Amino acid sequence: MSIFGIDGALAPYLILIFFGFLPSEIWRFMSVFVARRIDENSEIFVYVRTIAAVLLVGIVAKLIFTPSGVLALVPLAARLGAVGVGAAAFLIFRRSVLVAVFAGEAAIIALGYYFVR
Amino acid sequence: MQEPDAGDTGGLTRFEWALEGLRQALTGPAFFVAIAMIGVGGLARGADFPFGAAIASTFLIWAGPAQVLFFGGISAGTALTAVALSICVSSMRLMPMCLSVLPMLHTKRTRLPTLIAASHFVAVTVWVESLRRLPDIPRGARLAFFFGFATTCITTTAACTGAGFFLVSALPAPFAVGLLFLTPAYFLSTIVRSARVATDWFALAFGLALAPISQALIGGGFDLLALGLVGGTGAYVAGRAVNRRA
Repeated sequence: MSIFGIDGALAPYLILIFFGFLPSEIWRFMSVFVARRIDENSEIFVYVRTIAAVLLVGIVAKLIFTPSGVLALVPLAARLGAVGVGAAAFLIFRRSVLVAVFAGEAAIIALGYYFVR
Repeated sequence: MQEPDAGDTGGLTRFEWALEGLRQALTGPAFFVAIAMIGVGGLARGADFPFGAAIASTFLIWAGPAQVLFFGGISAGTALTAVALSICVSSMRLMPMCLSVLPMLHTKRTRLPTLIAASHFVAVTVWVESLRRLPDIPRGARLAFFFGFATTCITTTAACTGAGFFLVSALPAPFAVGLLFLTPAYFLSTIVRSARVATDWFALAFGLALAPISQALIGGGFDLLALGLVGGTGAYVAGRAVNRRA
């Protein structure tokens, strides 16, 4: 890893600060100085929030479609199957995130035993 | 001389209120948010970041989606400027959260650096719990309670991020698979759980549908940003169309 011509041990931390911390923290910092309340229901805000929602869905989809590490050793169809198991559990157990995550995890670990070991 | 609203701490010292914040965090929230973020440690390792940077990401960024975008984006080969822009858009939602919590913490004696420090701890879990718990706490004690509560949450979460970093390589392969699957599983579930209006569902559908397409068509590190803009605009327009008809 290298950034701004700086190599080695410091580079990941500089990347974290400049490309992760600052772009996020700017909103918290600015909010301290914004005296009046922003209207959460204004159209521009709804639009920005929608973009942010799609971005998050997009990166989550990427983690499922093109994962890193050992998860990539489980075939795509099996990964989507585990998502399906989680979704089914979610619908059956009254939209519980906890149950959905546990069911999806149980499925992917079982598939992990089959495909990775 | 003390302003009436600044001095009242309801009989306990500020230190005792900070401990009360710590105690209440440990009754649940500090663990929920921490467990949800174990996967981020695995993502950090996947993106070739060192252990210290995985922990630092929780202390510095302290926003799950932004951390997922950061490590997930980098390991997917996204350009750093595009990663930063995505995070900037994603973290915009922190502003209204801060704007609704900070006035509850503020007293006439509160100094600016204290408020800036407090704003750093605002993220979805701390925000929700603060809105719920702060009204019952005397105004003069709220900052102490808030810092006790929030630093407990951030510390348990950083510990779990660090644990995830090691677990992803120390665990038997099937469990490492499970750990890497934890982040998408958790975020996908919460996105579906919190979807309320048509726009939310369109955002989910457009994001899922466009992710493989944008990667194939655009790539080059800017596909995520294009996905957000195209999919976000599409979901917004589609959501409005549905609302108008309803």
